[in-house]
Amino acid sequence: MRAWVSRGVVLAAGIVAFFVLPHVVADFRLIEFARVGQYFIAMLGLYVLTEYTGQVSIGHGAFMAIGGYTSGILVFHRHWSELATIPAAALVAGVAGLLFGLPALRLRGPYLALATFAMAVSVPAIIKKWESLTGGSTGLLFATFHSNRWYYNLTWICAGILVVVAWIVLASPVGRTWRALRDSEIAASSFGVRVPLYKTLAFGLSAAYAGVAGAILVIVSLGANPNSFPVQLSIYLLVGVAFGSFASIPGILLAAILVQYSQVYAPKWFSDNPGIPTLAIGFALILGAFLAAGATALTNRWHSGLKRQRPAKETS
Amino acid sequence: LRSIAIVLGALALASGAAGATRLDPGVTSTSVTIGGTVPLSGVAAAYASVGRGADAYFKYWNDTRGGVNKRKIEYVYLDDQYDPSKTVDQTRRLIQEEHAFAIFNSLGTEQNLAVRALLNGAKVPQVFVASGGLTFGRDYKQYPYTIGFLPSYVAEGTIYGKFLRLQKKKPTIAVLYQDDDYGKEMLRGLEKGLAGKGRIVARQSYDPTAADVNSQVAALKSSKANTFLIAATPKYAIQAYIQANKLGWKPQIVVNQVASASNVMKIVQSSVGKLAEGSISIGFVKDPTDPRFAKDKVVKLYRSILKKYQPNADPNDVYHVYAMAVAHEFINALAHAGNPPTRAGLMRAVTHMNDKKNPFLYPGVVVHTTPTSRFPITQAAVIRWKGGHWNAVGNLVSAR
Repeated sequence: MRAWVSRGVVLAAGIVAFFVLPHVVADFRLIEFARVGQYFIAMLGLYVLTEYTGQVSIGHGAFMAIGGYTSGILVFHRHWSELATIPAAALVAGVAGLLFGLPALRLRGPYLALATFAMAVSVPAIIKKWESLTGGSTGLLFATFHSNRWYYNLTWICAGILVVVAWIVLASPVGRTWRALRDSEIAASSFGVRVPLYKTLAFGLSAAYAGVAGAILVIVSLGANPNSFPVQLSIYLLVGVAFGSFASIPGILLAAILVQYSQVYAPKWFSDNPGIPTLAIGFALILGAFLAAGATALTNRWHSGLKRQRPAKETS
Repeated sequence: LRSIAIVLGALALASGAAGATRLDPGVTSTSVTIGGTVPLSGVAAAYASVGRGADAYFKYWNDTRGGVNKRKIEYVYLDDQYDPSKTVDQTRRLIQEEHAFAIFNSLGTEQNLAVRALLNGAKVPQVFVASGGLTFGRDYKQYPYTIGFLPSYVAEGTIYGKFLRLQKKKPTIAVLYQDDDYGKEMLRGLEKGLAGKGRIVARQSYDPTAADVNSQVAALKSSKANTFLIAATPKYAIQAYIQANKLGWKPQIVVNQVASASNVMKIVQSSVGKLAEGSISIGFVKDPTDPRFAKDKVVKLYRSILKKYQPNADPNDVYHVYAMAVAHEFINALAHAGNPPTRAGLMRAVTHMNDKKNPFLYPGVVVHTTPTSRFPITQAAVIRWKGGHWNAVGNLVSAR
């Protein structure tokens, strides 16, 4: 019950911020906030996967690419409205996640991580090869534009819906089963849980989240391009997991802000000599992730000191 | 009574607005703000020099000439990491937050394509695009606010084709090209220039994110071609030379302009020795490492400007010279864009250029445009690598 109260507080704060922000910041900032939202959604999906089923993926940028290109192709070739492509992107990326999950989830820990990394590396190359559909290295360019406010609304309404969806799933029997899996696969399977099924399901759901994030990336960018899904995108998303395990939704939000703004301000704050901004971005993210991980460890120790047991995790 | 006051107030405002001279965005009585994107981080950060060289030149011009019509040029160049989605964000920032008068010298084919419709929709000039993509000069009917600068890749390929077909020995050509518009346009230009008098016997493409091009070069060697065109960026061009040398293949090598800067060729020469000798390329800006320009006044000026305004930049990087050439031409165009300058005026100026005196360009290269011919530079010198530097072969060649 207490968890739902704090969730209500988070949601209410989010809704208030959503309506107030456009009135207090310059119009241009709304595009930056849309980018923050795009990272937030992908990180949220990855966080659910890692935190509740204990699986690590360093390839979620690939699912963003799949979702993004689903959206891009439907707008460019089929003249869908951008909005309508978002559920399609979630579906296609989700199915891709399920299909990838079937064989790959028999791998554990670092081996799974490596398999997902291979995805992140190969998907942009595959996209370029499939030129008639994806436009190759030029990509797919949209012909219609909207106001900054439109992109902001789109992103954060999607983010709000997906936060609520995550809460509902985690509170359902599926979510309980995931937690059982994370804590002990052997114990869970001896209770009759079909381990591969539930693991694959989690992977599919988080891939669907990445798909929505990718679709938003493409829509806000006015088109799809393979260069928008580099390997480091997948790495950036991991920062969200580190922050999320410390402070859940607010933590993920903080991570999304960090990822967006370290890219914007690194050349300004440090130096724009070649290589320095790249280094600065990497350093800022690693430092952030370390601080978040350290804070998590501290709070865990604090809790276990009090209760002498591992606290049951709940999203706040 | 209140409503009358409001109406009167509105009228006063309206007449005030009509009375004052309306300045285009980015223009004040003392400055003109322009902006552009270049990769300062990420895979293509080496191209940052295209932004930094222009920045140095504008600062020099502001300090020594007081800008253009007493307006200093404020050039804001932002990092896009070579990612078109970031180009879109940064270009929005330049228009909406920095109120840029024009987008200038943004780098990359895909990057400029990503913002072209946006800029044309808002009637913001997208001038002197740093890409050889054919579309930026060709498709002006649909995108009247866009114009390129350097010779198109098709033009460059055509020059090589024309040069090769005049050789004594009938050329059989193997081509290594980047698997995107840049590489394919170069290939198309080569075919056009050859006009049937020479055969392309093998072609191999590489992905711009590939680790190496060794297998492609091996496949090309097996075609027994007597000429090898390397249409690749510096890293892959160097690899191609090294691999050809390793395999004992000794063709006539033609290396495209984006990889033929002297500092790149010095690396090639130190790795492959004699194979580099006699390589063919084109040039249109003064290469600061070329001994012919060692005593050139402009190259000396270039070095002093770069040292003063971008002290960390490498003066041997020829892209800085390119950047100053394009900045110089922008200043020229801005001076003809009206006083105060307008966006429409700038577009008129950049489509009526006839500058024979851009000091950073190869002697004799003319910057020339008309409203229906929007390729500012179409000439280049064919150059041959000999004794550690490039030498011009014959006169300037036009790609037309």
